[in-house]
Amino acid sequence: MSQVFHPIEKEIMIVLQKNPNLSVEEIQEKTNLSIDQVRRGIEWLRHKQLVVVNTSKKEYAILGKIDIPNFELPEQKLFEKLKEKNQIPMNELHQFLDKNEFNVAISQLKKNNFIEMIKNANEILISLNKNISANIPSVELFRKISEQNKILKNNIKDLPALENLTQRKLIAIEPEVMKRFILTASGLIQSQKESLQKSKTFSADTILVESSEKRAIDVEATVPETFVARTHPLKDTIDEIREIFVTLGFSEIIGNMTQSSFWNFDALFTPQDHPARELQDTFYLDGISAKKIATPEQIRKVSESHKKNWRYFWDINEARKMVLRTHTTGVTIKHLAENKPDEARIFSLGRVFRNEKVSYKHLVEFNQIEGVVVGKDANLRNLMGIQREFYKRIGITKIKFWPTFFPYTEPSLQTMVYNEKLGKWIELFGMGIFRPEVTKPLGITKPVLAWGGGIERIAMLKYGLDDVREFYNNNLNWLRSATKCQ
Amino acid sequence: MPVIELSYSRLQKLVGKVTKKQISDSLPFLGLDIESENKDLVRIEYSPNRPDYSTDFGIALGLQGLLGTKTGAIKLNVKKSNKYKISVRPEVSKIRPFVTGIVAKNGKIDDKTIKQFMAMQEDLHFGIGRKRKKSSIGIHDLDKISFPLVYTAITRNHKFIPLASEKELSISEILEKTDVGKDYGKILENSTKVPIILDANQDTVSFPPIINAAITTVTTKTKNLFVEVTGINKEDSEDMLSVVATILQKAGFTLETVQITGAKNSTAKFEQKKIKINPTLINQMLGLNISTSKIISSLKKSRLDASIKGKDIVCTIPAYRFDIFGPMDLVEEAALGYGIQNLTPTMAPPQTLGQINPVSSQIKSLSQTMVGLGYLESLNSSLTSKRVLYEMTNRNTSKIISVLDSKSQEHTILRDTILPGLLENLSRNIHESYPQKMFETGTVFTLDDPISEKTNLSSISAHKDANFTEIKSILQSALKTGFGIHIDTRTTTHPSFEEGRCANIIVNKKSIGIVGEINSKIIENYKIRVPVVGFEISLSESILKSI
Repeated sequence: MSQVFHPIEKEIMIVLQKNPNLSVEEIQEKTNLSIDQVRRGIEWLRHKQLVVVNTSKKEYAILGKIDIPNFELPEQKLFEKLKEKNQIPMNELHQFLDKNEFNVAISQLKKNNFIEMIKNANEILISLNKNISANIPSVELFRKISEQNKILKNNIKDLPALENLTQRKLIAIEPEVMKRFILTASGLIQSQKESLQKSKTFSADTILVESSEKRAIDVEATVPETFVARTHPLKDTIDEIREIFVTLGFSEIIGNMTQSSFWNFDALFTPQDHPARELQDTFYLDGISAKKIATPEQIRKVSESHKKNWRYFWDINEARKMVLRTHTTGVTIKHLAENKPDEARIFSLGRVFRNEKVSYKHLVEFNQIEGVVVGKDANLRNLMGIQREFYKRIGITKIKFWPTFFPYTEPSLQTMVYNEKLGKWIELFGMGIFRPEVTKPLGITKPVLAWGGGIERIAMLKYGLDDVREFYNNNLNWLRSATKCQ
Repeated sequence: MPVIELSYSRLQKLVGKVTKKQISDSLPFLGLDIESENKDLVRIEYSPNRPDYSTDFGIALGLQGLLGTKTGAIKLNVKKSNKYKISVRPEVSKIRPFVTGIVAKNGKIDDKTIKQFMAMQEDLHFGIGRKRKKSSIGIHDLDKISFPLVYTAITRNHKFIPLASEKELSISEILEKTDVGKDYGKILENSTKVPIILDANQDTVSFPPIINAAITTVTTKTKNLFVEVTGINKEDSEDMLSVVATILQKAGFTLETVQITGAKNSTAKFEQKKIKINPTLINQMLGLNISTSKIISSLKKSRLDASIKGKDIVCTIPAYRFDIFGPMDLVEEAALGYGIQNLTPTMAPPQTLGQINPVSSQIKSLSQTMVGLGYLESLNSSLTSKRVLYEMTNRNTSKIISVLDSKSQEHTILRDTILPGLLENLSRNIHESYPQKMFETGTVFTLDDPISEKTNLSSISAHKDANFTEIKSILQSALKTGFGIHIDTRTTTHPSFEEGRCANIIVNKKSIGIVGEINSKIIENYKIRVPVVGFEISLSESILKSI
């Protein structure tokens, strides 16, 4: 597989192929790149192990911290004066140099045998030595350093002068780490390919190659993130479940979320004084009752079934009270009571409500699917078979059935599915056969298998969530990152 | 569902000759969910229709059946006695007309047993007692009571020392000052007099359904018990008593009758029920083909008696199994005795063709169109708050549909519009990168006769260049691509939108919604720092095709 390189990388590789061991500055000189581009390119190449760094330490002489006006050393000043007048009395010199400078200047020039001092009766005369060849070595070196900013220590030949200036703290020695770069073996191979391609550029169809050259980019580099527009993950799960049941021969019915207590409870054989009907479990709509709830016959027969079996005063006003449905079963039973099919597979899917404290495992409003099978093949093992098929299609194969209790089915079962991640069995859909106390008063004569349960639980397993609230937080960070195809 | 704590070692003693594992494996197949286990202790959840499972004694009876150590119905052995009598006075008939009772002798009561009895009493009160309203129970130390008793009504200045108290209190004081009085006093609020059970010395035994007298308190030293149940109908009171009698017998007590006379009351008979069932119905409902004798043995494992009579099976159901109404309940009992784990799922080919509801599929297509336009789907609750729906969006609050006694402040009213929820979503994502474009389809609610539910689509776009033209263009494309519908817009004003940047959406000369730039004050309310535009339309009337 041939790698594609960024133009910066290419240029650097080609330069390094010809001139191994270059510093960043040297590469910059030999290419058209800026210093930043070279640094970046070198980093990319090092990351790809095409270039290695060769580190060396060097010492430079730089100016010291003492401030010398016009870079003119005291010995220089004295030297220049003496050049003008051959001989100057020492007293006179004090006019040009302060005491410190004077002492330094005399001692420096004397050390190098540049001056002679003659003692007269009254004064000391200072004169230049006759045979001085050139400039003072310390002055010469100081000038060079001040002009060039820094000089490699190894390049300084005049070691006495270097020592002199160092001791006087006029200059300092500074170490500097040098990084030079060379191509690795694979770097060399890649760079040869690149230089070959570069030469091809001019040999073949220039335009074509150039345009392909433009297309080739660093495909390994990171790119900015694009956020996808998508359907909600929970809606995806709902759609998936809906489709599974349609392929299993079920038809979807839709009903209202606000229901009369009659269809939500009474028609399902839940007595009016049952704890599940209390305010603390069910949302009643404040001051809202339905005028027409069912046919007079339906009302009469349902109330008779309650009176006979539960032995209490059945109150129609209780049945009129509007609630937010606690399950979609009310929608289904109403459909069956109105249509009385001999053979049917129907389901209903939608929001249901419970008056609970919201927590990581409870919502006040969640989605439920619930379906029924009416017909001569309706039996408990078939109901279990439909469940098993459904779970298989959403990828759950380890399931078992336990008995349970629902007020409107008999027998009643619940599915337990094994969650590998949690390492335990969790309860999913409930199911059962509608009690005759439910079906008979509504004129439903064939046995009705019913099953249903919450969808969020399944979606939580699917998306690996442990807080059910996430589905309704509409947190963009999660919505933009949750995997679509599970 | 109620929860009870049990001890495996105690259960093993009660069941006899079974291992701990056999018990823990069998519990779920009695319909008892294991909530948690800690060495010898196990917490289980049981169904409210089986109050006999509110004690380990009752669960042991069920386990014996399922594990095959003892099968068939539990027979109550109640010795007839003339020593214990309660006469009922007509004064109590209009308040709490019925009383029944039983005496249980020579039992051993340890702390754990007392705990089990209290759990049973709580469960009976809550479930079939309907929070003591329908029926309630009192368990007393028999030896502290002088028979015969009288069940009558008494004035509220009557005084006695109630349970857990050291001094005498009047009925009124009990109802006003004690916890049970405050909790259950309202059951008696319609009568000036209250029910009372007095003994031969005129000492108070019980003040049903509120509290017992302190003197009859059951302790670990108690040997003999007197149990009374009072209630508003005779059957429920006797049902409750039958559960207690069955549990006490299993706990090792011998039972004796308490004779009840007067004011339409009579002595409890603990009569067994007989229900006929055709074995074909059981096989048909369960999808099995098992022999009648297998069905009979399965029913016996569920602690019922069963025998063949012609083509039918006659089932004998003990009094405490009043959860059994008819043949379908016996189908379940047979299934449990047979073992749910022995029922293998089968797949009958469907005789019907499945179909997605046309409304669902149209909404799905519309969602796909919105996604295609670059909008992300959001989901909010239909039950929301005044803050989100009205206060933050400056809307008028005249026709609110609220729910009663919500446990969550964020969920108190039904939404009549979707858009405020989407603005709330934006405000929770101000730290995420822009543009942010979201839509939601969902149900909105308005007061009608009684309530009308409609499907709406709402959509918002938030970014630094968001403007009216952009959102109108999105709306126009969505409806054109989705439904082939052309829209017009007409200037209007709306408290949530910027004046001069807001329009009604017109389809077939009818307004179906609103589009515009969100009012800057509202954006500020939500602490959003970029312009927001949006629309909301009703799909139900003019858009979705009903088929």
